[in-house]
Amino acid sequence: MILIKKTQRFLRFMSSMKIGLSLLAVIGLLAAIGSGISTDKYYQALPFKVILGLLLLNMALCTTNQVTKFFKHGLKAEKSSQILLRQIGMMTLHAGVVFILIGGSVYSFQGESTQIKIDQGQTVDMKTIFNQTKPFMIKLDDFNIDFNADGSPSQYFSHISLVENGAVTGEKDISVNNPFEYAGIKAYQSSFGYGVELQGESNTGWKEKKTLQESEFLQIPGTDKAIRIYKYIPNFDPEYGMQSKTLRPDNPRIVYSLYQKGSLLDVGAVSFGEKVEIQPGTTVQFNGVKPFSVLTVKRDPGLSLAMAGMLMLMAGTCLTLFLKQKKTGVVQ
Amino acid sequence: MTNYIEDFVYVTLVLYLLAAGCYFLGNKNKSIARTGLLIAIAGIATNLMALISRALLVSRLPITNGAEFILSFSGFTVIAYAFYELKSRNNNAGGVVLMIAAMLVGSIVTLMPEQLGDVKPLMPALKSPWLTSHVLTAIFSYGGFALAAGLAAIQLWRANSSKGEEWIYKIVAVSFVMLTVTIVLGAIWAEQAWGRYWSWDPKETWALVTWIIYAVYLHLYRQKSWKGQKSNMLVVGGFILVLFTYFGVNFLLSGLHSYGG
Ligand code: HEM
Repeated sequence: MILIKKTQRFLRFMSSMKIGLSLLAVIGLLAAIGSGISTDKYYQALPFKVILGLLLLNMALCTTNQVTKFFKHGLKAEKSSQILLRQIGMMTLHAGVVFILIGGSVYSFQGESTQIKIDQGQTVDMKTIFNQTKPFMIKLDDFNIDFNADGSPSQYFSHISLVENGAVTGEKDISVNNPFEYAGIKAYQSSFGYGVELQGESNTGWKEKKTLQESEFLQIPGTDKAIRIYKYIPNFDPEYGMQSKTLRPDNPRIVYSLYQKGSLLDVGAVSFGEKVEIQPGTTVQFNGVKPFSVLTVKRDPGLSLAMAGMLMLMAGTCLTLFLKQKKTGVVQ
Repeated sequence: MTNYIEDFVYVTLVLYLLAAGCYFLGNKNKSIARTGLLIAIAGIATNLMALISRALLVSRLPITNGAEFILSFSGFTVIAYAFYELKSRNNNAGGVVLMIAAMLVGSIVTLMPEQLGDVKPLMPALKSPWLTSHVLTAIFSYGGFALAAGLAAIQLWRANSSKGEEWIYKIVAVSFVMLTVTIVLGAIWAEQAWGRYWSWDPKETWALVTWIIYAVYLHLYRQKSWKGQKSNMLVVGGFILVLFTYFGVNFLLSGLHSYGG
């Protein structure tokens, strides 16, 4: 009995507006302090989460109180529809905050997010990334960039196929602001890059085609030399040095470095198809580039709850505070 | 017209300063204060001309780079003030509000003059209807908070009137709705663009802190013990946070918002 009374008293205490506003003030203060400390861990730390948890408890209780009160006394006939709507708005907005906090904690307990790099033509099994998902694969058919007239990027596209049980069951263009969503997984365009297609041959019979990533080495067989891709420059302009003038491949160059027994021998820049002589009789040339795309993939079972909460918060504040306007001028 | 963007901005700055001066001097003289309003309206006109010129130059709504945002912010602040003055028939806060607007325009010519002629196309991440609405509502909320802070400063400085309190409350309430919508739309946009609706980046964090202070104000306003000067201080403090969220975060802290692609 005493325990129940104590719990009741605790809950009443926890549901008060004073506690709620104090918690809000503390959260604001801690959040502000955290913005000066540039570490992601700060906001994931336990004390911060506990305070957010307390706010959730407080607001859940206070929203419950608002709703019970509303149904006990709320639906009296003499109330104007405006007051009724205002009260509904108030409950909706507080419940919205509760939903957002729940949705956010679902993510922090159950959600996962990571970045994946997919080469053009490569297929990624989502089961290897999130083991809680239904099995499906994503294949990157192509990656390309749309450009503005001045050569700056206007949009990045990953053209992907959805592969299930070995068969293509859908296609989609992922671009910035336009993610892909399937089976509770979302994939967002995040970054990209290029591998360089290299072709080497020598008069001793060596012949090889290979895609090298930036900063990757290739030991040339039969020699003590190695070539390394330093950088792909899509639009080379001497004024910009090693920086590409734009991302548009108007004047592509491959910057490579040549090593002998580990020490730097030479650095050069060539265009596609131009032969680099490693030593008499041995050459390497670059035939083109092959893009890869970096996608952020995310599984967030709390997302729809949080989104619903945000819409409720938005709609609720509109109802509550806009309807208030007509009243205050006269009444207060 | 696009060649005169800078001139429009400078003229706006001068007009806002002149208007502020008239309001301060017009404290006891009605006709000087009336002149203040007329000059402020002329300032609104040149402020809008600057925005229209920017829109013509870049062929989109002028609300993306810093200078465009501040121009919209200052313009809306003075428009809101003019409506307030005509409706309430009270011009006590004119000097303070016009000084705030002048300071905003002044920040363009001192901190970001190059942005007035910048014609770079938008980065892919910025091309989103969510973002457009997010910035529009931010302008409305910031402008409203600027006006409310001006009124609250006058309440603190001179005698406190309950009529003034009511106006402040109404303006804060509407601006708070706008700030709520701003933050929610920003979260929806961030979710679409980056895959996270909330990442505690400094801009988001300070917008939240701002939102909290006004939420606290709205709750305490109905508490008798908080009526009056304490709540006016919250309104002034809230606007200082608005300014910090914009200038402090842009120039002192870094984060996602200083990056677009
Ligand atoms: C997270 C942030 C919160 C927001 C954005 C928020 C927003 C609001 C708004 C806009 C109103 C209407 C104010 C008015 O009519 O002037 C309101 C009223 C109210 N809020 Fe909140 N609130 C929040 C948190 C809380 C908390 C933590 C509590 C209590 C534990 C609470 C309890 C109440 C109550 C009881 C009312 C009714 C006040 C009245 O009618 O006098 N709110 N809230």
